[in-house]
Amino acid sequence: MTLVNILNQNNLNRQQRESILGWALILPAAAIILSLILYPILYNIYLSFFDVNLEGGNTYIGLDNYNNVLFDPTFWNSVLTTVIYVFFTTIGTTVFGLIVALAMNKEFPFRWLVRSLVLLPYVAPVISVVFAWKFIFDPVNGIFMDIAYEKLGIFSERFNMIGTPEYAVWVAILFSIWKGFPFAYLMILSRLQAIDATLYEAAEIDGANRWAKFKAITFPEVYFVIGSIVLLRIIWNFNKFDEIYLLTKNVKVLAVYTYFKAFTGAMEMGQGSALALVQFLLLIGFILFYVKKVLKW
Amino acid sequence: MVKNNSFLNRAGFFLLIIIILLFSVFPFIQMLSTSLKYQWDWGNPSLIPTQINLEAYKELLNIGQLEKDLPESVQNLINETPNITKAQKKAIIAKFKDTSGVFPFFRYFRNSLLLATTAALLSVSIAIFGAYSLSRLQYKGRSTIQRGILFVYMFGGILILIPLYKMFVNMGFLSTKAGTFTSLLIIYLVQTLPVSLYMLGNFFRTISFSIEEAAMIEGAGRFETIWKIIVPLSMSAIVTVFVYSFMIAWNEYLYASVFLRGFEKLQTLPIGLQTLFVSKNAIWDRIMAASMMTAVPVILLFMSIQKNLAGGMSAGGVKE
Repeated sequence: MTLVNILNQNNLNRQQRESILGWALILPAAAIILSLILYPILYNIYLSFFDVNLEGGNTYIGLDNYNNVLFDPTFWNSVLTTVIYVFFTTIGTTVFGLIVALAMNKEFPFRWLVRSLVLLPYVAPVISVVFAWKFIFDPVNGIFMDIAYEKLGIFSERFNMIGTPEYAVWVAILFSIWKGFPFAYLMILSRLQAIDATLYEAAEIDGANRWAKFKAITFPEVYFVIGSIVLLRIIWNFNKFDEIYLLTKNVKVLAVYTYFKAFTGAMEMGQGSALALVQFLLLIGFILFYVKKVLKW
Repeated sequence: MVKNNSFLNRAGFFLLIIIILLFSVFPFIQMLSTSLKYQWDWGNPSLIPTQINLEAYKELLNIGQLEKDLPESVQNLINETPNITKAQKKAIIAKFKDTSGVFPFFRYFRNSLLLATTAALLSVSIAIFGAYSLSRLQYKGRSTIQRGILFVYMFGGILILIPLYKMFVNMGFLSTKAGTFTSLLIIYLVQTLPVSLYMLGNFFRTISFSIEEAAMIEGAGRFETIWKIIVPLSMSAIVTVFVYSFMIAWNEYLYASVFLRGFEKLQTLPIGLQTLFVSKNAIWDRIMAASMMTAVPVILLFMSIQKNLAGGMSAGGVKE
């Protein structure tokens, strides 16, 4: 091994050796990440100024892609859908995750079993659970329509909820909450378990009720965990594709919109690149706002 | 805390637990139930099938499918010819059998397994050295690299899908089977590498340096200490990271759907299931059975690492 030979040369001091070894060990990982994430980001910017042709060369068309994308009302519709989707899924997963974590932090029979069963939605592949959800909301066979129409009479007829855009987005949000809450629950639970029990005892001696204890002890302890969960959830769900696309083609969030633009029909990859860049800039703006205003870093 | 709870409080608490549990597992019960039902039973809201139907599973696992989908005349021929050998019979069936309706579950399964296992193995192997470098060695530029890896978390698949696709097309990778497989493998490696680096790095920091130091005083080199001390001590973390990477690759849909367009034979389970769903052979019991069999391996793997997972996640290395 040449690396070992280099390291064994006597004219290097300990620090130099460590430095060479450090770089050598991280190099494969760094090279892969650099060439397959950072380079594509730059290449994406480049492509967004071209009419991209898969077979032959690309034609430079200046800002045309951006013009086409930004003055298209469907684009602004999908921005709106994305914001609604991200907003409600983030709140939903976090709040429900917190409730579940608080419940699982108490003693009850078969807690170990319940604790692992609750993780199933997070673990199972999207592709496998998505069909169960489609079946539940199926207009003919699904149990949802059976309850909502036959038993409760909320709707005047059986209809395809997932096929109707204004309802489909709520099904997609519910699905995402179901799929994502175990993550929030796990993170919050591990923080809850680290809270010193004597704090609660002291508060009880002072006569604090349950709500007062939650406000004064629990909430401050989990505040930062919740802050990071929300940040991660915003980033993930802003770019979410498979959970939405596989459930319904009718909820056109930005990721789905870009996919349709670039890989179906006329395969407008240049416009797709422009969209991806705009989406990325929106995400960065979102994050900066959140970090400044909410996390106050 | 529990002592001043009234009966009503307790009942409310158990109700909450039941609601949480039901919400979490209901779709799985629905999946299992539908996979075992006959078509005439689908509209029945009861989760217990009126009559158990194992046909969907048999079809997927290719049990007792030998004489199905065979034209009737051929079936008669086989049954009415007394001195036909087994080999001859098989050959005749293979020739006349209508395979257009068959869902190649095993092929999808094998493709997914191969891709996910290789990607996870590579990811973990590269990450062991990278994470060691990031957690143990002092050098200029280390924190920049670390921050860069964090930064990568922000790039969901769709943001770099187009440039990556164009890059692999330009390099001619997507015109051959081997190239297509390799490009998808590389992409899964990249997607899992940041997680692996992060989780392993955090774990290595919890191992006391004095053990390594002792070994080095004894004359062991750095590679030897990594191999003989760090790796055995971190086995639980390494397995966790492996399973996590495996799951990311096993579940991936977006890149597979774009990259595997040209080669049907390479398609993975998520693509196969989606194809089945939109095809003329889409029958709920089949889809649910296939869904069950896609989910079960992952769930079993997850159960095996579950006790390590919470720690690994809260250590900061998680990606969806």
